Amino acid sequence: MTGSLTHTGQALGAHAVTLTFGGVTALDDVSIHVGHDELVALIGPNGAGKSSLLNVLSGFYRPKAGSVSFDGHDIGKWPVHRIARAGLARTFQGTHLLAHMSVLDNILVGRYAHMKCSLPSAFAYFPFAHREEVEHRQIAEEIIEFLEIEHVRHQPVGTLGYGMRKRVDLGRALAMEPRVLLLDEPMAGMNGEEKEDLARFILDVREARHIPVVLVEHDMGVVMDMADRVVVLNFGRKIADASPRAVQQDEQVIAAYLGAKA
Amino acid sequence: MDPSGIFFTSHGSDRALVRTRPQAAALALLIAALALAPLVLSERWIALGYAMFIAMIAVIGLQICTGYAGQVNLGQSAFMGVGAYGCAWLLHFPQMPVVLALVLGGVAAAIFGALFGLTAARIKGFYLALTTIAAQAIFYFLVLNLPGEWLGGAGGLHLDNLQLMGFSLGNDRSIYWLTLAALMIMTTGAFGIIRSRHGRSFEAVRDDDVAAGMMGINVAAAKARAFLVAAFYAGIAGGLWAIALRHVSVEQFTLFNSIWMIAMMIVGGLGSIVGALIGTILIQLAREGVVSLGPQLVDLIPSAGQDIVFASMNVLLGTVIVLFLLFEPKGVMHRIEISKRAYRLWPFPY
Ligand SMILES: Nc1ncnc2c1ncn2[C@@H]1O[C@H](COP(=O)(O)OP(=O)(O)O)[C@@H](O)[C@H]1O
Ligand SMILES: [Mg+2]
Repeated sequence: MTGSLTHTGQALGAHAVTLTFGGVTALDDVSIHVGHDELVALIGPNGAGKSSLLNVLSGFYRPKAGSVSFDGHDIGKWPVHRIARAGLARTFQGTHLLAHMSVLDNILVGRYAHMKCSLPSAFAYFPFAHREEVEHRQIAEEIIEFLEIEHVRHQPVGTLGYGMRKRVDLGRALAMEPRVLLLDEPMAGMNGEEKEDLARFILDVREARHIPVVLVEHDMGVVMDMADRVVVLNFGRKIADASPRAVQQDEQVIAAYLGAKA
Repeated sequence: MDPSGIFFTSHGSDRALVRTRPQAAALALLIAALALAPLVLSERWIALGYAMFIAMIAVIGLQICTGYAGQVNLGQSAFMGVGAYGCAWLLHFPQMPVVLALVLGGVAAAIFGALFGLTAARIKGFYLALTTIAAQAIFYFLVLNLPGEWLGGAGGLHLDNLQLMGFSLGNDRSIYWLTLAALMIMTTGAFGIIRSRHGRSFEAVRDDDVAAGMMGINVAAAKARAFLVAAFYAGIAGGLWAIALRHVSVEQFTLFNSIWMIAMMIVGGLGSIVGALIGTILIQLAREGVVSLGPQLVDLIPSAGQDIVFASMNVLLGTVIVLFLLFEPKGVMHRIEISKRAYRLWPFPY
């Protein structure tokens, strides 16, 4: 296999990844690397393979060829929950929130792997178990306050509007204390103001935690403002990987976007 | 949801089980009434009481597995059987103290249940239901085919002269108190579990197992754990049942009982511990009604014969339950929550 898995200065990477569904090639020999404290935007027309790439990085899809590394480990064979516990958190394109549970409980689910309470001590609700609950509740409350969703904390997530749900999704990922954050179209379907709020939250997270972020986003304005680097996919292939300014002037990228719109 | 105007000053009190003084007082009164009831009740009501307490324990376990974790479980009765045999064996042969035998019987059932839970990691819904039915078959097979000296074969095991802290368990009142105490412990334990990270992991697996995995929850382990909890509760209930009847045999633990427990859980409301308690009371009372009305009907219509009367009354009861589920699929608890909310918000319609 590849000998360059332990790339220093690289938090997360996919190496020559190919992914197929039946006859469809969703990803074709794609490599991507994400440096520490770097915001990489992933763009491309619909069906280009952006979500597929995030799914490969988070271990939900297993590629036919190629490898995935995280913090110097080859995580290709790790189960999803192990990758998550190692510090990879993500949000989903369609929300995968726990609809019947409250906002608070959704965020507390993100604390799962950080809590230690065993089943017997939960049964007995030992003082230790109670103390742990209160401690982690505190952390969840800080996230709730940060995302300005205090007023809905006890509401079932299923009853919330789209913009709020996206915030809860982000909150849950943050509760995991991730070491890298993958966001799949977190602003899709939002109005300008909601988008601005979410962009601000993402920037605040970066400032506070200095973690690398991979952001899938369609709004070019947002991408150009926020990204350190832009990776462009088209029909499952990577066609550009450069600074926002350079990508904007790239002829292949322009052609891909014009072609998709025509 | 809390009535407006009540705010909790700390996260600790917000998470507490009993959150206001009137609630605590009502609960204390209820428990006192239940504890004193056998002093005035007739034998028959005392026996119905402990039968209900025991069923409640098993249904709470089922609720955690199915209502919270979303895992179909038709093995609850077999898990009860394993607990009953485990407990009875420990009381009969090594003559262990009652409480220890009960707990170890529960542990034996939990291990048996977790084995089936492991299969739940791979299969869902209908096929999982079939697999849990296999628990029933395996339980029967083991008891009836192991050497007769081990578990008593078809005849079962008898228990005599059981004592707990110097008190004889040979009368219905002491059984009532023992099962009531067990129910209180198991109910409190259930609230502890569902309010912990494990309870949240169960609900996460139920609502969206993809998201649960991505949040760091080992989905397969969580499902196995849900079965482990269900079977532990069933095992404790089974052990109590053995102690109450002073006897165990396989025919006490049929697949039909598992189905009754599912009915109790659904009538009470999926995903609610209190719902499990209420559903059990309602269905047990209805069944008791059938049992006591049956003979009178037989007297009224002698030509019908006993078999037909009982069979048709069970069909009637089944129909009522099905109709109930059609019109109130979320169970009694859901209705109670709605009316509580309406009452609290009155006179402001929501
Ligand atoms: N689970 C799946 N099963 C079959 N085809 C899929 C699946 N996921 C993605 N695809 C296909 O892979 C291609 C890339 O999809 P996707 O990664 O969702 O694109 P994007 O997120 O860039 O819009 C599409 O052709 C899509 O139909
Ligand atoms: Mg997508």
